[in-house]
Amino acid sequence: MSRRSVQLKTLVHREILRFVRRPYNTFLPPIITNTLYFAVFGVILGNRIGAIAGVSYIQFVLPGLVVLGAISDAFENASFSIFHGRWNNYIDAVIVTPMSNFNMVASYAIASATRGILTAALIVGVGLVFTSVPLSHPLYLVAFILVITTLFGGLGIIGGLWADDFDYLTVMNQFILRPLVFFGAVFYSLEVLPPLWRDISLLNPMVYMVNGVRYGMIGVTEIDPNVSLVVLTAATVVVLFVDFLLFRRGFGLTE
Amino acid sequence: MEAAIEIDDLRKRYGDVTALDGVSLSVPEGSFFGLLGPNGAGKTTFINILVGLVRKSGGEARVFGHDVETEYREARDRIGLAPQEFNVDRFFPIREVLEHKAGYHGIPADEARERADAALKQVGIYEKRDTRFDWLSGGMKRRFLIARALVTDPDLLILDEPTAGVDVQLRHDLWELITELNEGGTTILLTTHYIEEAERLCDEVAILDQGQVATVSTPDELMDRGTDRITVTFRDPIRSPPDIATNGQVDAVGVEDGRLVISASRGGLVAPDLVRELDAAGYEIVDLDVSRTSLEEVFVEMTRNGSSVADGGEA
Repeated sequence: MSRRSVQLKTLVHREILRFVRRPYNTFLPPIITNTLYFAVFGVILGNRIGAIAGVSYIQFVLPGLVVLGAISDAFENASFSIFHGRWNNYIDAVIVTPMSNFNMVASYAIASATRGILTAALIVGVGLVFTSVPLSHPLYLVAFILVITTLFGGLGIIGGLWADDFDYLTVMNQFILRPLVFFGAVFYSLEVLPPLWRDISLLNPMVYMVNGVRYGMIGVTEIDPNVSLVVLTAATVVVLFVDFLLFRRGFGLTE
Repeated sequence: MEAAIEIDDLRKRYGDVTALDGVSLSVPEGSFFGLLGPNGAGKTTFINILVGLVRKSGGEARVFGHDVETEYREARDRIGLAPQEFNVDRFFPIREVLEHKAGYHGIPADEARERADAALKQVGIYEKRDTRFDWLSGGMKRRFLIARALVTDPDLLILDEPTAGVDVQLRHDLWELITELNEGGTTILLTTHYIEEAERLCDEVAILDQGQVATVSTPDELMDRGTDRITVTFRDPIRSPPDIATNGQVDAVGVEDGRLVISASRGGLVAPDLVRELDAAGYEIVDLDVSRTSLEEVFVEMTRNGSSVADGGEA
């Protein structure tokens, strides 16, 4: 294994151990939250709503909940880890090493995507308790999950570098990310919206993610999944490049 | 011999504040180099530029010939840093923190574990290997910072106030450890507020004041620049100073409590002639004391109100 590989592996390992060793903080919350979502929206309300796009309501909302959990945790992982390291100065111990900026960005992004994927798997597991989980296009599902968790890991890196206080993390997660997801067609079909709101919704990137994962799971989408995948992949590359530039410039890391 | 650190006209500004104002100096490989200066002199800024925590505003800085910005990976690979602040990963036991540190330098996991254990034994806290940093005592925390700096076997060990707030025994233990490392070929860059530490350990010291190098010299040379004090006690106390030939070696002559007090830049050289002269003049000497100026006194004199810099001192 080359020196660069060892460096990358070490930081990825450290980042993954950080959240794996704190399951009450990382894995239990999505299990409980999604159990509540499935129970209330899927079972109690879902039985009154009936089928949407040919599937039960609980199966319709499942992909959206997977996206919501996966991207929230991917974002939170990178942003918290980097911000906490800056807050307590221990990220300095990484900066002063011979690790390249590319390796640092890659490590945080890989670990955060891993956390998002694990959360997605947990939510699917919870969903299985309430309903069957179809798998119409598994390759699309894997591709979308990989891309969106990496994208939000990359956005979390920017958030972690930008934040000057814990309040910033709350603002990003609760006031920006969560509303976008809730208006991203997680709980409803775009068809139920008036034309104006439907067009406005198409500006929301979450719509493409939710529809992509929905296509992978239940084979239903309102947007061409190939277009979504290309756009999201391009966005991921851009965000990771911005991460790299910020690390190279030392934004939030050096004086 | 290659310079471990080569600095040329290094500058750093934080807005309107100038932290480093054209610092130039060279630290020879294998040397024990002290960086002294009052608070705010720019010592930590200087160190942080070398390791990449501060971006320079101008000038050049090289570590073993590698530019700290364009060849940062090569430069940082040679450095072990024990900072003043406790900037340690709180999520993991200290042994794992050291394993991670070694891994960031590209050392494979098996070897990283061996090195972590060796470093913890070297500083005497191996039995605490499964403890998190927050639960260590103050002295152990200092030891741990040294272990973290050593785990990658650096060629340049930078110690920023390593003995701040530690007890006398630990300070001596650390002195012994870093002296051994230096004798083994490791270049040491030490910043300290304990002037005795620099006097005792360093081959050469630079005094930094207001972001500029006031002087670079050996501790002995610096002490020679100070004024020694010769106190002569006579059997019969005197009221006025005797008439003595100074030959330009004496700075001042006076009387305190019936004793003759002489200030001279090299008291050890003046004293024998002085004794002979007083003896010949009929004075009966019962005691003679030559107190050499301390490095601390020279330091205080040089950094008082930035006088050294204003006087044009340079490296």
